[in-house]
Amino acid sequence: MQTKITRLKEELKKAVVGQEAMIEGLLIGLLSDGHILIEGVPGLAKTTTINALAKALGLDFKRIQFTPDLLPSDIIGAQIYNPQDHSFSIKKGPLFTHLLLADEINRAPAKVQSALLEVMQERQVTIADETFHLEKPFLVMATQNPIEQEGVYALPEAQLDRFMMKLVVTHNSEEEELEIMRKGATKRFAKVEKVLEIEELFALQDALEKMHIDPELETYIVQLVSATREPERFGLAGIADDIMYGVSPRASIDLYKAAHAKAFLRGNDFVTPADIGMVIHDVLRHRIVLSYEARAKGMKSDEIITKIVETVPIP
Amino acid sequence: MSLSTKDTYVKHSPGKLFLFFAILLSLLGAEDFSFSTHVDVPDPYVKEAVLLSVDLNQTNHDIVLLFNFDLKPSPDYTFQRIDSKETDSYHNAKVHYLYLVYPLKSGDVKIGFDLVKRVTNDESVAYSFSGDRDNVKGLVTQNTTVALPPVILHVKPLPKGTQLVGDFKLNYEIKQTKAKAYEPIPFEVTISGRGYLPLLKNLIPKSDAFTLFSEKPIIHTSHSKEGLQSRVIYPMALSAKENFELPAIKINAFDPKKERSYTLEILTTRFQIEKADVNTLVDKVDNPAPYRTDWSWLTTLLGYLVVFGAGFASGWLFKWHKKQRHDLQHPLIEKIDACKEKKTLLQLLLAHDAVTFAPVIRKLEADLYGKRSTTLKSLKQEAKEQLHAN
Repeated sequence: MQTKITRLKEELKKAVVGQEAMIEGLLIGLLSDGHILIEGVPGLAKTTTINALAKALGLDFKRIQFTPDLLPSDIIGAQIYNPQDHSFSIKKGPLFTHLLLADEINRAPAKVQSALLEVMQERQVTIADETFHLEKPFLVMATQNPIEQEGVYALPEAQLDRFMMKLVVTHNSEEEELEIMRKGATKRFAKVEKVLEIEELFALQDALEKMHIDPELETYIVQLVSATREPERFGLAGIADDIMYGVSPRASIDLYKAAHAKAFLRGNDFVTPADIGMVIHDVLRHRIVLSYEARAKGMKSDEIITKIVETVPIP
Repeated sequence: MSLSTKDTYVKHSPGKLFLFFAILLSLLGAEDFSFSTHVDVPDPYVKEAVLLSVDLNQTNHDIVLLFNFDLKPSPDYTFQRIDSKETDSYHNAKVHYLYLVYPLKSGDVKIGFDLVKRVTNDESVAYSFSGDRDNVKGLVTQNTTVALPPVILHVKPLPKGTQLVGDFKLNYEIKQTKAKAYEPIPFEVTISGRGYLPLLKNLIPKSDAFTLFSEKPIIHTSHSKEGLQSRVIYPMALSAKENFELPAIKINAFDPKKERSYTLEILTTRFQIEKADVNTLVDKVDNPAPYRTDWSWLTTLLGYLVVFGAGFASGWLFKWHKKQRHDLQHPLIEKIDACKEKKTLLQLLLAHDAVTFAPVIRKLEADLYGKRSTTLKSLKQEAKEQLHAN
């Protein structure tokens, strides 16, 4: 099992230089059946990464560029009238794929975002009176520009909650950029080969569900999540005023699943507190709603998470 | 104070002063004007003043004619324009120039001319006058450079050893012949008369017996048809530590008008110097040997080395201090040091940067949940090193 994951990582590295955190996050999403939100400036190999992942798994891949004039039917599909035989037929939208890159999701209006997020949650699409179930696996990797940029519609908290993880992608190091430049200029990026069958992926997902986790760690996860809602109970009265809303129960589920996937990717047979600690920032950062005071102070949700992890005792 | 002149007659044949029309005319200007020159001495001596007159007379009266005229500069002679008369009558320009020319070498010396003929018409003149202070209108002329034949002087050489050319007198004044040691004694020589400017480079020769202080000569001149009248004053001072004698100085001169050589002389003068009482002087030895070896270069070198070393050390210290400050200021260092248990350290590292501390986290995991055993101190140290590496 572990060998296959290693091979998958190696294959992805053929097309992507650096950005290991993004690859790791994407694999966690794939193994845990969760969707990933990525925040970062353009040109950081987001499309390349998910494209390479699709090729390495032999899966379908589609990309939707979100724009302010996009309509829900543009992504989910529509019923089309055929004048020859006076009948209606269904035209499926780009959502009908395995891996979907929703580029610059915060450039589209709320109704389009809602249409996508509903599909992400239900994994089914209803066009007219017909319901279609999406094929497994279905992974959405959405990207969004930093919210400070102009012409963007911020994603509502309820919709953000549908994403399992939010990754913040930064620029590559100088050494990595040098390699990218050389490879990009001479088109020396190697071709990505298929290394994993869908059945093998499902087997990996099954193995993940069976991975052992100590009940104390399950409690630890719940405590971490609870600390975002009732910080005073964990001796974190100092941050109580900085949090408007703590995270939802969906966060507990996602943290639980992500920790399993992380442990698996690290080659462990069981989950340790380190696995939880390594994914908690990515799982919780977009779910914590900061108070006005905290935002005025320039605080980030990552600081809240750091304090929580620092304070809640590990088993 | 005293004056002495010795006259010597030169044996060559005396020159004649007569008027000589060297060249009449040049019809280069399509006979628009006539050109004539005249020199008073066609065969002068070197540095003898020659009076050269030039006349330009308009002959074509249908045009408006103007002249730009001067002698051509040359290393063979010097010149000075002493007069020019222009008759501005319309359509009938007449110009008369008067120059003093001094040939500087013997043999044939060609005196060249620069002439630009400027032709215009009545309309242009009228137009140029139509402007005012705020709207100046230039006179449009057709300019033509006219080549004129040179005047040739047959210059005779001077008698050998001649230093001055002309009729000069020499006066000198020494205010005192007695002085104290190193006291400056004012000494002034004046050469005046008519002839080539009496400038001498080393009027008083240098001597070990005394020190000579000299200033730039003071020159007074006036030009006239008779030549250059001048008076050159050489202000000087003498100084010595003991009695000395200023030797007689003879200046050979030649008068071209009279064609005779003569000598201007400064007589021998003795000076009595009262010796200084060495015991009363602060510095008793003249030009003494160095009291000790001059090691100032070494001091300078060491100074530079110290400055360089200080700069280097301060740079190093700044870097070191910055590193120390960085270590101290990083809040995580303090927190790492404060950890008393491995679990606390793991918790801290996970909270702050699980990626950076991944190797230490792996070791802590193996220690806490596996069979490996590592000391807390070494884990802390490794965490701090990883923090520095980033």
